[in-house]
Amino acid sequence: MCSNWLTRLNRHNRRLDPDIDDNQQLHRTPRMTHPIIRFDHATFGFPGTVALEDISLSIPESEFVGVIGPNGSGKTTLCRAVLGLMAPVSGTLRVLDCACEELRCHHRALIGYLPQKGMLDRNFPVTVLEAVMMGRYGALGLFRRPSGKDRDIARQALAQVGMDHHRDSALGALSGGQQQRVFIARALAQQPRILLLDEPTTGLDLTAQHSVVELIEQLHHELKLTILMITHDINMIRSRVDRLVLLKTRLFAAGPPQDVLKPEILSQVYGKELVITDKDLIIVEDYHHHH
Amino acid sequence: MLRASRLRETMLELLAYDFMQRSLLAAALVGAVCSVIGVFVVLRGLAFAGAGTAHAAFAGVTLAYLLGLPPLSLAIVFGLATVWITGWVEEKGRMKLDVSIGILYTATMALAILFLGLMKTYNPEVYGYLFGSVLSVTTEELLTIGGLSIVVLGTILLLSKELYFIAFDQEMAAASGVPARQIFYLLLTLVALTVVIALKTVGAILVFAMILIPASTAYQLTHSLTQMTLYSVLIGIFCAVTGVLLSYAFDLPSGPSIVLLATSLFFLAVCCSPKRLHRIQAE
Ligand SMILES: Nc1ncnc2c1ncn2[C@@H]1O[C@H](COP(=O)(O)OP(=O)(O)OP(=O)(O)O)[C@@H](O)[C@H]1O
Ligand SMILES: [Mg+2]
Repeated sequence: MCSNWLTRLNRHNRRLDPDIDDNQQLHRTPRMTHPIIRFDHATFGFPGTVALEDISLSIPESEFVGVIGPNGSGKTTLCRAVLGLMAPVSGTLRVLDCACEELRCHHRALIGYLPQKGMLDRNFPVTVLEAVMMGRYGALGLFRRPSGKDRDIARQALAQVGMDHHRDSALGALSGGQQQRVFIARALAQQPRILLLDEPTTGLDLTAQHSVVELIEQLHHELKLTILMITHDINMIRSRVDRLVLLKTRLFAAGPPQDVLKPEILSQVYGKELVITDKDLIIVEDYHHHH
Repeated sequence: MLRASRLRETMLELLAYDFMQRSLLAAALVGAVCSVIGVFVVLRGLAFAGAGTAHAAFAGVTLAYLLGLPPLSLAIVFGLATVWITGWVEEKGRMKLDVSIGILYTATMALAILFLGLMKTYNPEVYGYLFGSVLSVTTEELLTIGGLSIVVLGTILLLSKELYFIAFDQEMAAASGVPARQIFYLLLTLVALTVVIALKTVGAILVFAMILIPASTAYQLTHSLTQMTLYSVLIGIFCAVTGVLLSYAFDLPSGPSIVLLATSLFFLAVCCSPKRLHRIQAE
């Protein structure tokens, strides 16, 4: 089933993106030399604030990157930048061989995105399948109606996250973890090459957190997607990602988890309250409960 | 029994009249267009913006009468200006949306009153646009309504998937490759056109009820986007047509008949809403 998916994915992308020739498509998986996302001294900001400053970072295709950093450190901004929703103030960002400010709709359709905020309105009348079908809309283009094939792709994506039996349920009636799975399915229904996940486990109970992270890990292995996953749960992803990126407006570190998760590096960003226990668990010291 | 059969006879007689056919057709069109666009307005949270547009369109009508221009031409100009400004303010997020619309809403109403004051004579036609007079719809007006309805419904049919997506989550739509911003402005444009279509039949004060109520009623009844649209259209057409018949049968003004009928259906739906019952059980 997994290879079937991958073939479909390849075929689909080829049809979608005329800029990429067939040769490149067929051999894209091991092209580690050519980054799919490349920040080059890029700075992003809002009027009056600099959200990300002088970022240089290359992400090769099929890499699983974890992004960590305190609140307001620019993690969500990083996602929005990759989606081409913000132009760099200075420097450049190239995504899918295209300057991010010139990303067109057909490029964005190749980037699956799970936004940080969860469900907006539990009463919004949308079924699970309708919500996942929305993932197909960008790739389909204007004026075209979804066909039976799009429906199959959406159902396959739902099956991948283990939610196919809920396809006719109201989205608002699902639990937070189930909704998160549906939104991951929507991103997968785009048949993306890049998956951006902004705090996919926040607000979920421990079991749901684990199953969502395991799902993401499994998707990475099966589909060889390039994944950028933002999280505050360092302990949860440290063993799963290829590389960790530590942000606090600037890029403080980027490398294998064991190189980044060092007290001297982390304390630069999180301050002194951070404690690494003898079991290698990282906790933020709570000063109401000194031991 | 006797009453019911007499009522049916009266209805059949009515349908033989030209003016009645015209007004029923106009009402059905207005009911359909308003209830379809209403789905997107309700889901995208633009209800208040639409109410502001209706009053701006009325200001356009009064100015047109003052200058001797076709009334609907300036209604469109005023309606579009208001709705685009509203969209722009929401996009920039510099001001709370309800504040900016509140200001536009009252300012355009003040303009309308000013223009009415500048007219030296009392013109009952102008008030037709304020309160609605579906029974006096002329053939030309019906043609205008028909043409604009085809434009609005056709556009919605062609771009329904994008419109649903931006109503659900505009940023997400933009992120996944839908030209969300353009679609949002298109939706605003369609709202302004719909207001203009409905201005003569239900009137500036009540037009927004026609957009809001059928869609909100349908919202209570279902969990599916496509079903919500279907229910909304059925409710919209039913209320518009039945409202006109009632208004004629009982000699009531047409606008309020349609709107109050729709409002009763809305409250009925709220009481029987499967969603609400669900929630009460859960508590
Ligand atoms: N829409 C906005 N307008 C103005 N400033 C913004 C906006 N969004 C974010 N910022 C600023 O950009 C900086 C980075 O924000 P960002 O949302 O990227 O942080 P984050 O790392 O995702 O935080 P969190 O962990 O809380 O999600 C913050 O200082 C914030 O104040
Ligand atoms: Mg964030």
